[in-house]
Amino acid sequence: MRGGRLQLRFDRDRACGRTILAACEQQPPLRVVRAFPTGDGAALVHLHNLSGGILGGDQLRLSVRVGPGAAAQITSTGATRVYRSRPASPVSVQATAMVVEEEGLLEYLPDPLIPFAGSRYRQETRIDLAHGAGLFWWETIAPGREARGEIFEYELLQLHLDIVAEGRPVAVERMWLEPSLRPLGSPARLGPFRYLSTLYVCRAGVEPDRWLRLERQLSELARHLTRPAEVLWGVSSLPENGLIVRALSAGGGGMAAGLTEFWKRAKRELYGREALPPRKAP
Amino acid sequence: MDPEHLAGLRLLQLADSALPIGAAAHSFGLETLTSEGLLDTEHMESFLRDYLVEMAPLEGAFCRSAHRLGAGPEFSVDGWVDLNRRVSARKPARESRVAAATLGRRFLGLLLDLGEWPRLRLARERAAAVYPSTAFGLAGAVLGLEEEATVLAFLHQATAGSISACQRLLPLGQTRAARLLWDLKPLILELAAQSRAANPGEVPSFPALLELGAMRHPDLSTRLFIS
Repeated sequence: MRGGRLQLRFDRDRACGRTILAACEQQPPLRVVRAFPTGDGAALVHLHNLSGGILGGDQLRLSVRVGPGAAAQITSTGATRVYRSRPASPVSVQATAMVVEEEGLLEYLPDPLIPFAGSRYRQETRIDLAHGAGLFWWETIAPGREARGEIFEYELLQLHLDIVAEGRPVAVERMWLEPSLRPLGSPARLGPFRYLSTLYVCRAGVEPDRWLRLERQLSELARHLTRPAEVLWGVSSLPENGLIVRALSAGGGGMAAGLTEFWKRAKRELYGREALPPRKAP
Repeated sequence: MDPEHLAGLRLLQLADSALPIGAAAHSFGLETLTSEGLLDTEHMESFLRDYLVEMAPLEGAFCRSAHRLGAGPEFSVDGWVDLNRRVSARKPARESRVAAATLGRRFLGLLLDLGEWPRLRLARERAAAVYPSTAFGLAGAVLGLEEEATVLAFLHQATAGSISACQRLLPLGQTRAARLLWDLKPLILELAAQSRAANPGEVPSFPALLELGAMRHPDLSTRLFIS
C-alpha cells in the first residue's frame, strides 16, 4: 500500500500576467515534472503516476489550488489504469481536493479511467469555486480492457464528486458500481452502453439565463453528435452556476473528440476565447 | 375521533397517486427510454427493481431527513433550505429537477389549502426549491405520522407513479401493473430500511440512462409527457 501525495498551487504572476506553478510538493507515485505555458497565459501540467496506474490498496491524495485570476490546465500522460486488487488489500483510493479562487480557472482534462478486472477503487473529488471562478472538468469511465474482452469485470468502482460554488453544492455524484451485484446492463443503469463520459462546465456567479442559453446551444451539438444505439449525448443546466454534458457510448469511439468540441464551444461562450487542447508530450 | 386513525386516513390521501398536484404529467426520462426502444414491457419488472435499488434509498433518505427536521422541537429553516439544495445537486437533469420541484411546491400548496401548519408555510416560503421527497417527509412529521410509515408511503407512491407512467407509454395492462406494484412491496420495505441510518448526502445512486433520457426528452418529436 502506498500513500502518494501531490500538492500544486498555481498563481498569477503580477509582473508578466501569466500563471505559474508556484508550489509543488510531491511524494511518489504521483509526480509533475514541470509546468508549461499555454498560448493563453495559463499553466499546463501533466499528472504522472510513476507506477503506471493505481495499484491495489493505494491511498493517493491530490490537492490543487488555483489562485485569484490564475488559470491552470491539468491533464494526464495516459489513461488511468486501476489494477486488480489483492483480496486482502483495502480499496484503492484517490482523494482529490481542488480550490479555485476568485476569477481563477481550472481545466481538468484527464484521459479515461480504465478499471481492470478484479479492481476495487474509490475516487473522491471535491472542487470548491469562489465567486467568478471557472471549471471545465471531464471524465470518461471505460468498462475495462475492452480489447481483451474484459467488460465490467471490476469488483467495485466508487466515484464521488462534489462541486461547490460559493459554498453551495451545485453537483453531487455518488456512483457505486458493483457489476456482479448490480448489473450495469440494466436500462435503469447503463442499458446497452459501456462508456460513460461527463463534462462539467461551471462559473460561479453567472446568471441562470445564460446557462439556459448555453444549454440550448450545446443541446444542438448533442443532437448532432448522437447516434442512437452507438452514442447518446445530453446537456442540462445545473441548479445554479453550471451545466453538465453527459454521454453514454457503446464503443467509446468519438467520446474524446465530442468532449473537446463541447469544451471549446462552452469556453468560447463563457470566456470569449478558444480552448487549447493540452499538449500531450511533456 | 381517534387521532391515529385520522392521521392514517390523511396518509392514505397524501399517498394516493390521484392527488391533484400534476404528478401524472411527468415521466422523468421514462418516455425517452420507451420511445427509443431501451425499455419494453417484457423487461419492466427487472427494470423497476433496478430502478428502485438506484433511487429508493436516496429518495427515502431525503424523505426521512425532512421528517426528522419537521418532528424536532424546533424547525431549522436553514436545515430545510440546505436539505433541499442537496436534493437539487443530486438531480443533474434540469427537466426532472424542475418537474420534481414543481410537484413538491404544489404538494405543500395543496396541504396549505387544506389546513394551516406554520412549519409547512415557512418551508414553502423559504426554500427556492422543494422536492416531493422532502415535502412528503416534512408533511408527515407535521401531521403526526410516524417516520417509517411516511417514508414507506412516499416510496410506494413514487413507485406507483412510475408504473402508471409506463402504462401510458407501453402495452402494460391494469392487472399486470397491479401485480408489479404488489410484488415490489417487499423490495420497497427493504430499501426503506436501508435509508434509516443513511446520510442522504452519501447514499449512492446511478440511474445514468434515465437521467440522460430526461436530458434528451425535449428532443423527442412526439411527447405524451411535459417537457
